[in-house]
Amino acid sequence: MKKLTPIILLALYGVVPAQTRDSIQKLDEVILYGDRFLKPLSKTQTKKVLTDSVILRNASSLTGLLNFNSTIVFRENGLGMVSSPSFRGTTAQQTAVLWNGININSQTTGQTDFNTINARGFDVVVLRAGGGGVVDGTNAIGGSIYLENELVYNLGFNNDLFVRYGSFNTYDVNYKADYSNDKQSFSLIVSRNGSDNDYPYINTDRNNLNGQFNNTNISFSGGIRINSKNELNLYANVYDGKRNFSLPTPNALRTKYYDFNTRSMLEWKYNSNKFKHLTKFAVLTENYRFYPNIQNDFYTEGYVESLVVKYDINYQFNKDMLLTSGFNYLRNDGKGTDIEEEVRHLSSLVLGMRHQVSEKVFYEIGLRQELNKDYESPFLYSAGVKLALSDFYSIKINTSKNFRIPTYNDLYWQGLGNRDLKPEISYQGELTQVLKLKRMSLSVTGYYNSVEDLLMWVPDAAGVWRPENTDNVEIYGAEALLSAEKEIGDHQFNLSATYAYTVSKNRDTGKQLIYVPYHKFTASLGYSFKKLSAYYQYLNNGEAFTTSDNAPEQILNNFMVANLGLEYNFRIHKNKLTLGIQALNLWDEEYESVLNRPMPGRNYNAYMNFNF
Amino acid sequence: MKKLINCLLLVFPVLLLHNCTSDDREIITETPEGDYANGMFVLNEGGFTNSNASLSFVDPSGEVYNQVFFGVNGFGLGDVAQSMAFYDDTAFIIMNNSNTIEVVNRYTLEHITTISDQILNPRYMVFYNGYGFVTNWGDPVNTTDDYVAVVNLQDFTVTQTIVVAEGPERLLEANGSLYVAHKGGWGYGNSVSVINANTFQLSTTINVADVPDGIVISDNDLYVLCSGKADWTGDETLAEFFKISLQNNEVIESFQFTSGVHPSFLEVTNNELFYVLSGDVFKVSTGNFISPTGPLFSTQSQSVEVVYGFRVYNDNIYIADAKDYASNGEVFVYDLQGNFQTDYRVQLIPNSFYFNN
Repeated sequence: MKKLTPIILLALYGVVPAQTRDSIQKLDEVILYGDRFLKPLSKTQTKKVLTDSVILRNASSLTGLLNFNSTIVFRENGLGMVSSPSFRGTTAQQTAVLWNGININSQTTGQTDFNTINARGFDVVVLRAGGGGVVDGTNAIGGSIYLENELVYNLGFNNDLFVRYGSFNTYDVNYKADYSNDKQSFSLIVSRNGSDNDYPYINTDRNNLNGQFNNTNISFSGGIRINSKNELNLYANVYDGKRNFSLPTPNALRTKYYDFNTRSMLEWKYNSNKFKHLTKFAVLTENYRFYPNIQNDFYTEGYVESLVVKYDINYQFNKDMLLTSGFNYLRNDGKGTDIEEEVRHLSSLVLGMRHQVSEKVFYEIGLRQELNKDYESPFLYSAGVKLALSDFYSIKINTSKNFRIPTYNDLYWQGLGNRDLKPEISYQGELTQVLKLKRMSLSVTGYYNSVEDLLMWVPDAAGVWRPENTDNVEIYGAEALLSAEKEIGDHQFNLSATYAYTVSKNRDTGKQLIYVPYHKFTASLGYSFKKLSAYYQYLNNGEAFTTSDNAPEQILNNFMVANLGLEYNFRIHKNKLTLGIQALNLWDEEYESVLNRPMPGRNYNAYMNFNF
Repeated sequence: MKKLINCLLLVFPVLLLHNCTSDDREIITETPEGDYANGMFVLNEGGFTNSNASLSFVDPSGEVYNQVFFGVNGFGLGDVAQSMAFYDDTAFIIMNNSNTIEVVNRYTLEHITTISDQILNPRYMVFYNGYGFVTNWGDPVNTTDDYVAVVNLQDFTVTQTIVVAEGPERLLEANGSLYVAHKGGWGYGNSVSVINANTFQLSTTINVADVPDGIVISDNDLYVLCSGKADWTGDETLAEFFKISLQNNEVIESFQFTSGVHPSFLEVTNNELFYVLSGDVFKVSTGNFISPTGPLFSTQSQSVEVVYGFRVYNDNIYIADAKDYASNGEVFVYDLQGNFQTDYRVQLIPNSFYFNN
């Protein structure tokens, strides 16, 4: 089994090269309690905030949500299967996913499988493009995704039930209950979804075989305001996912994959005059089990338990200047079928400063020193300037040095792991222009990113795969984010669009990285008239190479996918009820985001959202 | 402001465009004049789970035709092409991760049928007396279900299976016996099974060293090259070369390589044995195979990255370079003295050569 497991795992994750009601509608002012202190550090970068209704109108998986609402490109091994992101032309391990401020990328693979995150379990999903290593730590090279549970006060008791049912026996149920008074706030979200996922492959006589999945996600957040200075919060999240892996060919052996992840965190906020202290203790567990044959009980697995301690102190030097300092500690304890138990300790020190020099000029600086004995400890930095040249036009400049640490698989895989690996290092810079009018905002960013010592599994002369620091990658591109709205009488129109042009080249060969299209465009158009609303989502993913020599006969075709939804909103007493229907892949486009892994054609669903 | 919004409205029609995707990229395949006789097939296994295995054809003039199976049949071979075998006018293409055998006419490549029943992790195929014999690893997590499938060549059905030790890989037929090298599937093998091809019964087992990779027959002797277990297994063992009598299945002579050395492949022509070690090709004579010599030549001059396929045929040595396993591979041809002759650009992960004469 040993010989093939790494290849299979790599293949699953696509590394083997053999082997708010709406983004369309106006974004609510979002208060991010969890990381309120840290968020300002990225004031000179571009953020996109996705809240309730965008989350509800999209598929429950984080892949479904972000594919239609961001410049992130996904490689999905068929709907619901392993899904890897590429943010700004980077690798799957170079996007950080943070749960209430804690990095939850897998310690074994280094990446987050975006189909193992149920977006409905969170109140807000925030995307920040570009390097964020100083604040977010490892993986934040292409960008970061923040999954946030909000704690709100004085809103009483609320229930929210969402039920969706559609083609291929796909169901999606989400129940949220929250209660708050002026001292306490509690919120519980229970989500369950699943699908037979046996869609026909367009223009063939084949169906998606063995692709069924289901998962349950439970999110809890609770907060107590002890007094004016002290606040105690508790967050918890459990994800239990079971997937069969759809067959690449009809007679292939049937496999399945289980994920079981838990996250819990205690947070203490202490405010005294000019000082604010934030202390977090988190325990995370991640466990995967891969069954190479579903008819057999045998599985291979990986298990990592992590302890995270974060302490941040902010000092408001004066009205315009904030000084920050922080300490992070991470302890991983992991083992697996092919990994003997290993414990590693990582820590870091962070220093930062934000200064509003004048009404028009703002700058920020962040420094981070990694401290560990396992590999080189890089010194990271970020610096940014924001110039508000007029009340509707501003310029943001940001530069940073970021890193990505080797994974458990890279370091400790029995016989193959390499303990001499260095972290990947990224140097990047970007310039953003923001145009903000009353009913429209447009931001255009140009960036450059040089990634060195890419960690990859590469074959030696005997064909044995081992992890190494190999390639250097040069990435540059442009991104545009647009949102606009218009009212004509009772008719309301909203538009939200993203476009990315991405060049991501291997410095030695000059070839574009695999599965990084040069172009990606998304748009959401919303229309509402009194109680009726309609929305149209559009995605155009450019063609991408699937081989490192950019062979034309292995190009993944470009594709466009569009969804159409209709909603009727009404009130029963004080309760709000929404009924909706959707046609997904409206034009029945034949497409795939991974070579020879077809995605579904046109399919339908109906949903109901009841707020009481 | 109003102008801006009007400009924005201009982009709305873009949202309604739905035919702006490119047409499916046609794989344009030029087929050679006449048929596929008198040339060489190169099997490209393709990426694991990517279902992009393909067949290349090199005609006698050296012209390369890629994706020829797709060109003739309009569909791909499937997932991970392992090997190919000829019988009369028929060619069998063994698809490892598809668990199928694609049966085609060897001269036209027209698809005849697909064998999928009782085929699980198939590897190699030989023929005897109207039957085909296919080694199968079976269920990856079960070390006791490995077998040789017996295929009736009249109707292309599997008539029975012969249970063997784990990891049956390459096999040969001689004098009505099958010699099956147990290289090891998900574990490591160290034996050669001898099967009576008339009765389909296991007749004996010959113990060799770990990981018997190459087997050839010359002058009524069986030569088995065992690679030994590599260092990364945590249990490194020595490579060993065996000469076994086909008369009594006894080891006549054997030779142990020094530690840390793991040769692979084995070919024979005119009483000379060829194998590969770290990208170098070695040649020893069958009469004196236990005396090691220096390499015949190194493939490094041609910058070969991974020797993934190796064949000696007529007066040439053929080497398949899988490169980084993520880009199109290349075939390098040398003469028997190791002089580089020519190279051919083929497809993803080429692993073997078949001469259609």
